[in-house]
Amino acid sequence: MPELVVEDLTVHSAETGRPILDGVSLTVKPGEFVALVGGSGSGKTMTARSILQLLPQPLRIKSGSIRLGSLDVAGASESELNRIRGGRLGMLFQQPKKMFNPNKSIGAHLREPLKLHAGLRGHAAKAKVLELLAEVGFEDPQRGASSYPHQLSGGMAQRAMTAMALAGQPEILLADEPTSALDKVLEQQILELLDQQRIQRGLGILYITHNLASVAAFADRVLVMDAGVIVESGTTESVLGSPKTMYTRRLLEASNLAPTGIPEPPKHQRSALKLTKVVKQFGSGKRSGRPALDSISLEVQQGEILGILGQSGSGKSTLARAIVGLEGISSGSISRTLVANDARATAVQLVFQEPHDSFDPRMTLRASLEAPLRSHKEFSAEERSRKLTSAMEEVELDPALLDRRPGQCSGGQLQRVTIARALLLEPEVLICDEATSALDALTQRTILDLLQRLHRDRALTLVIITHDMDVVRHMCQRVAVLYQGCLVELTDTDRFFADPQHQHSQALVSAAIPCRGLHLKKIRAALQVN
Amino acid sequence: MITFLAKRTVTLVVAVLLSSFAVFLIPYVTPGDPVRKIIRSRVAGDVVDDATVRALGESLGLNDPLPVQYLRWLGDFFTGDMGLSHISRTPVVDQVMPALGITLSLVFVALGAAVVVSLPLGIIAALKQGSKTDKLITTVTQSFIAMPEYWLAPLLVLVFALKLSLLPSAGWNTASSIVLPAATLALRPISFFTSAVRSGMIDALDAEHISAARARGLSHVQTVMRHVVPNGLVPLSTLFAVWFAGLLGGSVIVEVIFAIPGMGRLLFDAVVNSDIPLAQGGVVVVVALAVAITTLADFLHRILSPKVSGALA
Repeated sequence: MPELVVEDLTVHSAETGRPILDGVSLTVKPGEFVALVGGSGSGKTMTARSILQLLPQPLRIKSGSIRLGSLDVAGASESELNRIRGGRLGMLFQQPKKMFNPNKSIGAHLREPLKLHAGLRGHAAKAKVLELLAEVGFEDPQRGASSYPHQLSGGMAQRAMTAMALAGQPEILLADEPTSALDKVLEQQILELLDQQRIQRGLGILYITHNLASVAAFADRVLVMDAGVIVESGTTESVLGSPKTMYTRRLLEASNLAPTGIPEPPKHQRSALKLTKVVKQFGSGKRSGRPALDSISLEVQQGEILGILGQSGSGKSTLARAIVGLEGISSGSISRTLVANDARATAVQLVFQEPHDSFDPRMTLRASLEAPLRSHKEFSAEERSRKLTSAMEEVELDPALLDRRPGQCSGGQLQRVTIARALLLEPEVLICDEATSALDALTQRTILDLLQRLHRDRALTLVIITHDMDVVRHMCQRVAVLYQGCLVELTDTDRFFADPQHQHSQALVSAAIPCRGLHLKKIRAALQVN
Repeated sequence: MITFLAKRTVTLVVAVLLSSFAVFLIPYVTPGDPVRKIIRSRVAGDVVDDATVRALGESLGLNDPLPVQYLRWLGDFFTGDMGLSHISRTPVVDQVMPALGITLSLVFVALGAAVVVSLPLGIIAALKQGSKTDKLITTVTQSFIAMPEYWLAPLLVLVFALKLSLLPSAGWNTASSIVLPAATLALRPISFFTSAVRSGMIDALDAEHISAARARGLSHVQTVMRHVVPNGLVPLSTLFAVWFAGLLGGSVIVEVIFAIPGMGRLLFDAVVNSDIPLAQGGVVVVVALAVAITTLADFLHRILSPKVSGALA
């Protein structure tokens, strides 16, 4: 099998001349698992896209060579490229559900590469579709093939995408953050699936990610990219074990969410929120399935940081929405016994997952943030402006950002603004619903630091809803585990990681520990010694 | 899908019932004696003396409560008895059905032509977004909105009928009679359809799954044909139905100008002559058809775009 060799690749914008990639060289051999890591905007994705010759406008390859075995990919004709794409070079994308045509079934998608690259049609193609779906872990391939993309979960969509990439019998697989949108358990499963293919078929994998834990677990070699330049490369052990550049060290530290900074739980145990047997049932009558929330009883203490863990679909977000009152509950009660003992609806605030989706794209941030203040008549225009400025300073942002629109800000900046918006109403409890899941490791770290500081300075009660075990280990004093709408475990963080009780908790904890090759613990130890 | 079907059918029936009830009330809310107006739509001869009016009113059940009268009227209506026209004194159904046939063929030809013209224009404009071709197509088709039918129709007659003597200027006698009125009617839908196809295509081209399709090895043309055009055309199905329903009663200007005995012309005449039974018949038929067509388009939309049915059904 041939190897993929990229040499001295330089990509720039044809309009502005701004360089995107600068002298990138990399090699992926058959059967090799190579990781390309870096923060968002470092050029990882553009590297994969230039290999496939699918750069978005107005980016162009300025110089350099891309070879697959003896074939010159950079100089190939369009029809040659169509044979290579999806054939010799497969690709996985970050948001699997968005990468399918919503109006076509999964089977129809899979038949495309089969027809193009294997010449299979009709019954032969249909049989192969079922075979591929079974191979990537569909329990009912028939149903999988006839379902539409929106009917699949994120994890199943990524499996289907993998099946589609494998359909063309690729030699090299470019996997662009295939698991960033998935939780830890699913991530582990998908990466194991890829690794299995690597072993069975000698597939070469270029794994693009910002998640160093998975790199430590699976990759043979690591390339670190910053601002379009490969700043460091080598075996996984050498790069992660003894990083040479500041950038790699920062990436590692950001991933190294050790349980160092957890403050002691408050001594006076007074509850801030009390949930008693909360049930939420969507739909009614025959069509309703199991409840989204099934008899959840939970107490949140004043000044504590509680983590709520669960996979997608476990009812985490429904719980958050029920607590702030965005979602009615079918039975049970939610009572707030707050410090000021007032019943302000604003005393519990919610921070959403997708910062770009939680602002009106047409409004400036100032207008968005002022809206809730306007409903309280007591603030004059001057006071409002002062409050906005101080809220921005509180979340360590330049108040000048207020006059931008959401599209002109980065995800990390916007997530800070979301927190500022929540703080404006002086909440006593802040619920963060996957507040850092959409951010890269570096940005995630800074947001978590911010939340910890706010918790300290404002005696804010935090409820951190996440699927990320590292975030829980890093931040939380107690952990609640949701599984299929039920609260299956509620315990101290230390005890949870040392001795998880419920079967699902055990699966979560074991998925969080790297399994192959090098162990993160070693890296952490090395870092702390340095 | 089954629940959706049932729900939409119920909505359809309710809409037709509500609008037909309003239409049923016309004789009661317009000036004059409702009993005499109704008798005139039911009895062929002229009735003048009060005693006969009373007797006829009794035998026609006009003293019954309104809901009972409404149900009887509705039952007659949908079994083909729409009463007698106040003016021509012939059964309304014999006037409405031929007029409906004419208007249906006129609207169908006009909208069909609009689709045939708009599809390639919209697709080309979207594929060459921002280019001179795009600007030309967009500007020209948008300008059609500003061309009223009463201005365009005489212009077309002047050129094609009077100067070139290619087509008949009016009437509904030969197959070529349909060309000029259909062209006049098609112009504004062309501008709306083209812009809908163009923006639908641009959205479909922007979708992230397009790059995934390219990465599977589909060529640009294959991607456009399989994943862009079908997705981009979904909005057109709804727009087509809205225009179809609208033109059923809205082709009046064109029908009057070209002297076509269609639905628009019939309704126009009925209103001008206060021919209540004729107006009632025409309005109920148009409403029922319009509601049925939009419902049909909703079904079609669901079949074309399974995500919609998943989200709502």
